[in-house]
Amino acid sequence: MILSHYAVVGMVTLMVFGVACIGAAFFRIAPDRVDAPRGWMPYTIGFPIYALIFISFDMEMIFMYPWAVVFIKQGLKGFLDMLVFICILSAGIAYAWGMEGFKWE
Amino acid sequence: MGVILPAVGVVIVMVLGAFAAHWLERGLLGSRAEAGAAFPVRIRPDAVIEQADRWMYPAGPVSALFAIAAGLAVIPFSRELVAVDLGIGVFYFIVVIDFTVLGLSMGGWGANTPFGTEVYYRAVAQLVAYVIPLGLAYIGAIMMAGSLSTVRIVEAQSGIWFIVVQPIGFVLYVITAQMQAFRAPFLEPFSSKIDYGVLRLYGGWKAWAWRVSLSGLLFAVSAMGAVLFLGGWHGPWLPGPVWMLIKTFAMMVLLVGLGARFRPLTTDEMLQLSWKILTPVGLANVLIVGGLILLGVGVKG
Repeated sequence: MILSHYAVVGMVTLMVFGVACIGAAFFRIAPDRVDAPRGWMPYTIGFPIYALIFISFDMEMIFMYPWAVVFIKQGLKGFLDMLVFICILSAGIAYAWGMEGFKWE
Repeated sequence: MGVILPAVGVVIVMVLGAFAAHWLERGLLGSRAEAGAAFPVRIRPDAVIEQADRWMYPAGPVSALFAIAAGLAVIPFSRELVAVDLGIGVFYFIVVIDFTVLGLSMGGWGANTPFGTEVYYRAVAQLVAYVIPLGLAYIGAIMMAGSLSTVRIVEAQSGIWFIVVQPIGFVLYVITAQMQAFRAPFLEPFSSKIDYGVLRLYGGWKAWAWRVSLSGLLFAVSAMGAVLFLGGWHGPWLPGPVWMLIKTFAMMVLLVGLGARFRPLTTDEMLQLSWKILTPVGLANVLIVGGLILLGVGVKG
């Protein structure tokens, strides 16, 4: 059952690759050459704090999906659980904001 | 149902949807230069960049195409007309649709040019900005439907559409969907400052693949908006798939038409908007929706 479901996804993937290969075969006619300076060099990232806090929030989202599915059955208990969780998360945002993490460096 | 037929259907829907989105945007935007991923470029012959990575550079558009096709596989056009009704539908959609950002990263970094690197860098910043508020907008709809399956979410809206009971969630979705689709005002990876990003860099079949996937991205994101908040195939008189198409088009007009009214934001402003306003509002929205469900609003039987 599960396997037959994901077989459709697998088939879609194969077909996309097939379409790309057909495109590549059709357009392979005397390509131009482009001269451009190289781009691989060390550079500074402007959003390090955003990136770090993003990772922690992305993990948190994984917890929220199963919680959202069973929320109607859980009722008030589930609501209070999430209230505590969101308070902790908001403290995280407030801390990052307070230490001036939310700006471009 | 077999496997081949739904898969062929998905690829056809992707191509037709991309054409529809492209045609619609051209009509709405005219020849405005700053149009984000909808920038009108003439598709030129393929070009070889000497220093580009041999595999990563062409892998970019293929990854983006895969994202759109795989994402559209779970979009239901009626109760039966869905390629595959996965139990984790919307979660799967969020994950696979972000392969466009992976594609932009691979294409931009693989090209090994200064502007290409800039595209990679700004596309990742855009991902960091939109994923969390977008997910929080999804959570509201999932809570009321009690399921991750796209078909179940639409069925839960047979009485009342979620846009009525979750207006904050819908506004969050509209803003983050514009970020996700790289449409105005969040078009930094495709702005004229960096020579329209990958759209000028690529040629030949890769440029076609980018065109289809970036137009298809708007179509897929709008279709998901119709599923989550506008009640999918539900509607009077007309058959279900027609309603779904009408709602998807309405969503596209809303995203593009609204976005064109604002000045383009820089990546810095976008990150601030996302983390200082949208994320706290999204967290509050989860609690508001939870309170509404406890009061019995929007929940069936």
